[in-house]
Amino acid sequence: MSRQFYAERIKARRRHVWAVTAALGLALLLWSTFNLRNADAEDLATGYSTLFYQIPLLNTVLLPLGLAVIASRLCDWEIRGNTLKLLCTLQKKSAFYDCKLLMGLGYLFSIALMETAGILAAGIFYHFTEKLDVRLLLLHFTEIIAAGTALYIFQQTLSLLWKDQLLPLAMGLVGSFAGLFSLFFPKGISRLVPWSYFCQFTPLAMDWDPETRVQTFYATPFPTKLFLGFLAATVCVYILGRTLFLRKEV
Amino acid sequence: MEMIVKTGSLTKSYSHKPVVDNLDMLVPTGSIYGFLGPNGAGKSTTLKMLLGLIHPQQGHIQIFGKTLDTKNRLKILQNIGSLIESPSYYGHLTGRENLEIVRTLKNAPPQEIDHVLRLVRMEDQQHKKAGHYSLGMKQRLGLAAALLGQPRLLLLDEPTNGLDPAGIQEMRELITSLPRQADMTIIVSSHLLSEIDQMATHVGIIDKGQLIFQDSLSSLHEHSRCRLHLRTTDNSGAVSALTQKGIPAMEEDDRVLLRNTDDDSVARAIRHLVYAGIGIWRVEETQMSLEDIFLKLTGKKVSL
Repeated sequence: MSRQFYAERIKARRRHVWAVTAALGLALLLWSTFNLRNADAEDLATGYSTLFYQIPLLNTVLLPLGLAVIASRLCDWEIRGNTLKLLCTLQKKSAFYDCKLLMGLGYLFSIALMETAGILAAGIFYHFTEKLDVRLLLLHFTEIIAAGTALYIFQQTLSLLWKDQLLPLAMGLVGSFAGLFSLFFPKGISRLVPWSYFCQFTPLAMDWDPETRVQTFYATPFPTKLFLGFLAATVCVYILGRTLFLRKEV
Repeated sequence: MEMIVKTGSLTKSYSHKPVVDNLDMLVPTGSIYGFLGPNGAGKSTTLKMLLGLIHPQQGHIQIFGKTLDTKNRLKILQNIGSLIESPSYYGHLTGRENLEIVRTLKNAPPQEIDHVLRLVRMEDQQHKKAGHYSLGMKQRLGLAAALLGQPRLLLLDEPTNGLDPAGIQEMRELITSLPRQADMTIIVSSHLLSEIDQMATHVGIIDKGQLIFQDSLSSLHEHSRCRLHLRTTDNSGAVSALTQKGIPAMEEDDRVLLRNTDDDSVARAIRHLVYAGIGIWRVEETQMSLEDIFLKLTGKKVSL
């Protein structure tokens, strides 16, 4: 596996996937912390809660497309270079799929790390008066990894199965919109939309009073059953995606 | 004769239509096996089956004396190099980086890259991006990748496709030099008879998925039955005079074709025509070309 992973790293040369990942992480951080520059004492008292509530929404908008771009960049050189028939004589097809997946998940992990580090940095930089809830921070990190992994598997499978990368990228774009708009619907409906899951596990809710324009954050129980169900569904997506790829004749 | 590749009743169908039909391929060790057939005859499908890229519905494949299955496929393929259809390459990487990927996956020693680059004469272009290579260079890069790991068997599917005449000549020279330089067996497919004629020691002809001929190239040439034509002053008179004497003959293309070409029959035929007062301008002996043999075997004209 280490040789195969090394081969993947050579392939990634000059494709600037790290730049795409860094740009995505930076865009998420800038967007989420932009309003904090005018924060007053009241805002700073709910600084972390605001970020833990807002960033998943931004993830829902940006990550489906971002992950589609990363998956496409990691896979399209195989399609364009007609390399699958060569690679399948050198390595197991399943190992190729898994190795590529690990590579992509590495980028997702980096985004999650950047976001988490960004939240901490924002707290220090803007002097949040709210105490950091480490449990929320870890859950936030877990949420990105869990939802991102499922979507990345889906995007990688599409990118490997389709010759034209337009469809996987279009799916990413559709996912961004579908995920965001589904959040306006009742939970029962939004949970049917896989792209909405960047927001489904945050154990935090908000009340907004239109008269006083004051927002109040409050804790909600972590949806353990939903989370475990989602993990099980992710495993199913992985098995299905891998099987479809293994069945593809090269 | 030891066989490096043996297939038995190899069959592959798509939508109930057989693409490869009960193929019994025998490739002698150390040979250059020309796998010849018109486009769509089943050559690439057969080669892909030999590499385990697609699975046959029926039949078995033996390579290096071992039956190919999903468990030992990669182990067997460690000793096989392949170049199937169009060349595989990463356009954003240099030629050397492309080879580095294959070398890594084959777990071959790093110095082999320089060796194969020398073999395919690409030392000077190794640091150029593969996406900027000409088709001929991409094919040579593909061949270099196939040669990494010092394979005992090389499968080349239409390696000269799309190359200009100089490129074809160069690739042909390269392929024919490999068994001498690297002690390997080569299976090379082509729809071009002339190409196989110039490269192969053995030949298998496939048409509509069926192997219709398989033997040494010299044996194929033996099929090129000799034909004897006479140019006379009176062809129809000559044919009736010969027929009356029991010598089979017929008119063909303004000439008289003698069906029996042994020395006695020819001497008798000429003697009778001279006695019958028919002038003989010319006696022509022609061999059947490989194209004619192919036409006879497949019933199809092929491109040359």
